Amino acid sequence: MILNSLKSGLSQIRARKRFVMVFYLANLFFGLLMMWPLRGIMKGFIGNSTMGEKLGGALDMDFLLEFFKQNSQVVSAFSALMLIVPLANWLFTLFLSGGAFAVFAGNEKYSPAFFWGNAVKYFGRFCRLVLWSLPVFAILFCLQFIETGLLRLIFGADPYQNITYWEGWIKVGLRAISFLLCGMILDYARIHAVLTDERKMLISLIHGIKFSFGHFLQTFGLALLILIVGAIALTIYNPIADSLAAPNALVVFVLFILQQVYMIFRMTIRLTSYASQLELYRQLATAPATITSTGEQLMEDFVPAT
Amino acid sequence: MRNRFSLARLRHYGVFVIFCSSLSAQSIIFSNPLSPRIANYDIDVRLDADKRLLHGNETLKWFNKSGDVITELQFHLYLNAFRNNRSTFMKESRGAHRGNRIDKEGWGFVEVNRIKLGSGEELTEKMEFIHPDDDNAEDKTVFRLPLLKSLLPNDMIVVHIDFTAKLPQPPFARTGAKDEFFFVGQWFPKIGVYIDGEWNCHQFHSNAEFFADYGVYNVRMTVPERNTVGATGLLVERKKNTDGTVTHFYHAEDVHDFAWTTSPEFVEFTGKTQDVDIRVLMQPDHADQGPRHLEAAKTAVEYFQNWYGDYPFPNLTVVDPRRGAFDAGGMEYPTLITAGTFYGMPAGLRFVENAIIHEFGHNFWYHLLASNEFEESWMDEGINTYTEMQIMNDKYGPIGDMIDFLGIRINTGQLQRLRYLFGADLDPTVRPAWGYYSGNSYGVNSYSKPGMLLTTLYNYLGKETMGKLVRAYVARWRFKHPKTRDFINVANEVAGQDLNWFFDQALFSNAVLDYSVERVSTREIKKDEGYDFTLSVAQPNSAMTNRKSAERDDGDSIKSKQKMYENTVSIRRLGAFKFPVEIVTTFGNGEKVRESWDGKELWKKFRYVKPVKLVSATVDPDNKIPLDVNFTNNSKAIEASTLGINKLSARWLFWMQFLLDQPEFTNLFSAIISII
Repeated sequence: MILNSLKSGLSQIRARKRFVMVFYLANLFFGLLMMWPLRGIMKGFIGNSTMGEKLGGALDMDFLLEFFKQNSQVVSAFSALMLIVPLANWLFTLFLSGGAFAVFAGNEKYSPAFFWGNAVKYFGRFCRLVLWSLPVFAILFCLQFIETGLLRLIFGADPYQNITYWEGWIKVGLRAISFLLCGMILDYARIHAVLTDERKMLISLIHGIKFSFGHFLQTFGLALLILIVGAIALTIYNPIADSLAAPNALVVFVLFILQQVYMIFRMTIRLTSYASQLELYRQLATAPATITSTGEQLMEDFVPAT
Repeated sequence: MRNRFSLARLRHYGVFVIFCSSLSAQSIIFSNPLSPRIANYDIDVRLDADKRLLHGNETLKWFNKSGDVITELQFHLYLNAFRNNRSTFMKESRGAHRGNRIDKEGWGFVEVNRIKLGSGEELTEKMEFIHPDDDNAEDKTVFRLPLLKSLLPNDMIVVHIDFTAKLPQPPFARTGAKDEFFFVGQWFPKIGVYIDGEWNCHQFHSNAEFFADYGVYNVRMTVPERNTVGATGLLVERKKNTDGTVTHFYHAEDVHDFAWTTSPEFVEFTGKTQDVDIRVLMQPDHADQGPRHLEAAKTAVEYFQNWYGDYPFPNLTVVDPRRGAFDAGGMEYPTLITAGTFYGMPAGLRFVENAIIHEFGHNFWYHLLASNEFEESWMDEGINTYTEMQIMNDKYGPIGDMIDFLGIRINTGQLQRLRYLFGADLDPTVRPAWGYYSGNSYGVNSYSKPGMLLTTLYNYLGKETMGKLVRAYVARWRFKHPKTRDFINVANEVAGQDLNWFFDQALFSNAVLDYSVERVSTREIKKDEGYDFTLSVAQPNSAMTNRKSAERDDGDSIKSKQKMYENTVSIRRLGAFKFPVEIVTTFGNGEKVRESWDGKELWKKFRYVKPVKLVSATVDPDNKIPLDVNFTNNSKAIEASTLGINKLSARWLFWMQFLLDQPEFTNLFSAIISII
């Protein structure tokens, strides 16, 4: 079932390649927002120095340390950007997701009017959904601290470092799982909201939770599979990117292209994840009993609002 | 050839040692004393582990090897730095050392219960706390002891001191206790150094380390039976007592301090290299890194002996501090050093190796050559930083000798240079340790800047001369108290040139070294024109194609046939530090012209008339001057290249894109974390 959903998701993406580009361009835009000030400062700092050419090869750590030391404003500027840009990016991707889910739900071809119209339509709901879901996510996030408590109970307040070390890794794992679960719940809640045109986001959230945990093996398996695909891609990407170290304009250009191809691949994965989850939802949530909203319709009758 | 006894032989002679321990300055390890053996101690100490208390009896035999008549003695009581928050140490440090703080109930102290002389005179009432460095009357880290009878040159005085000490918890500023782990340093009443006609006995400062005379130590430490002990010197005897304790008797010769550690949990590793027995005492949770520590210690011993001179002591103990006792880590004592690690430390993070190489290095620069760390900290920490950088680079490769992890490669030297950049001009290098502008300035001038200046000198003099210089310094000043001027004298002598111009700037001033290529230009030289060339004064309105012009063409025929360019390079000295530099100018045909400049003037211009255009110029093209505070302005090209900027921007952009492409809630989480 998971693989079928994934296959179906992939075929949906293949049919809507421009759709990927919308997400990619948004990502590129916010990435550029983060990069551009740094580039400007670096360019000013390097000026006509031959360092400008040297850095085309291996990274000169002396330069990097000197750069950050002598441009301390970079750190404060970056801190401010780290606050604003991810937040803006998050809001924007949340906005785009409305259009994406609507397109997938309606099996529509990508048309700007349909896509953007639904993005606008669901944005307010999705924002409310996020606010409603914050306590749920806080609970999930706090799961990792149960492990800390357990550790204290078993090993006392001053455990050996090998205990705390592995505890740290388990905590990292639990944190990652909590993020994964958060993402899953949010996705299925959004799918529910789009498919049923639900306006009460608390209902969609509850539905998302019920669905995610009610079909945990399938939902979690799909999310994990997609995560693993992303991780494998990164593992392949990294050594290739590292090997492109020659101080040559063509090499730098190839590196840039490789990076962007990788990012497009990531966007494809993200959208595949949306489409596959929707497909999984369709396959599993056929029984009307699983739908609790008063305003919901049977999915087979559903036509997303435009 | 070494004139020392083996460990086994020492143990064989254990009974003899005990017998003659009343004659403190007896040679057991070395057939002949290596040092003047001025301050000799016999100490019996009992650890009350539950209360972190040390009950000690000390007999000091001190020789007046000065030519002066001594009327008083001065002693350090270092542990009183942790007595309360009014001590000079605590005021200066604001209660923190390397980010650590003493627990609320964790204060420590050392209390002299009784002092009397070997001749029977009671002097306890005569003790007077002094504060030679500041006016802090509440500091009790130094006391003077007026003598009823003056001590003549070459006489010896015997002082019996009964003391109680409490160790801080957790270990703070190198010493203290954490549960059953004890690291005991600066713990006993210790006599100052009588030098240059006066007592040199400074208070314990937040940034300062120590200064002491050599001697022989016989120390008996009574600890719980199940405890392992590591200490300065060699174990002579381990005697079981009836009260569930064991007395460990250690003997050390020609050392100027004595530290020890004890814990029931130590896991022991032993090894040997170049006649030095190495013992590593690991915490159980770090036991898997025992071989790594041992290997690093071997590396340190081998490099130092091969490069800088003989380490005459038969052993070295490396202590791994307990979790939560990190402030006991990264410290040096004679034949005993502490490292510091955490479980799972990746091999590519060579903090362990770096710490062990650094701390063992102190056994040369602070121990074999007992410089005054209070007043000239660079002579220990700075020279040690230089040797540590050299060894790390040679052993672990030219790139990433310190960090080689997840694609990040950083050298020890690069980290030291970064630190140096943060305070290059705050102070002259040589200052009393407590007299620097800030703790950062102490760090820069004690560690990083000397590391940079000695590396600069290494590049200036060459590997061979610098190697000879350091070896000559070690050979000449071992078991003495060298001063900065002594180092400079050795440098001048070995280098065969007067290097005072360098040391005056590098050590005694805050002058900053910064040379830059200010301007490069290239312009085509126009053909000669005007009167005498294309016009004639006699016939002002006519073109001149006279003989004179033809002669010029003959004399400069090449120039007349091809374009010529006037290329100029302007170098500026931006800092006050003057240092000879090399400049390489690159031309369009690949030709490189190397020039030298003594760097004394504020600027220097080089002019080249060539048939090719200048491409770029670089001052210090071989990166031989790490003292230079700005490498980026060391070069300039006619045309700016954005290749590197594009590459870094591309990489930066990618990681930003990657970061932003996390699932929605990861982004929100990042934003929240940023807000927090």
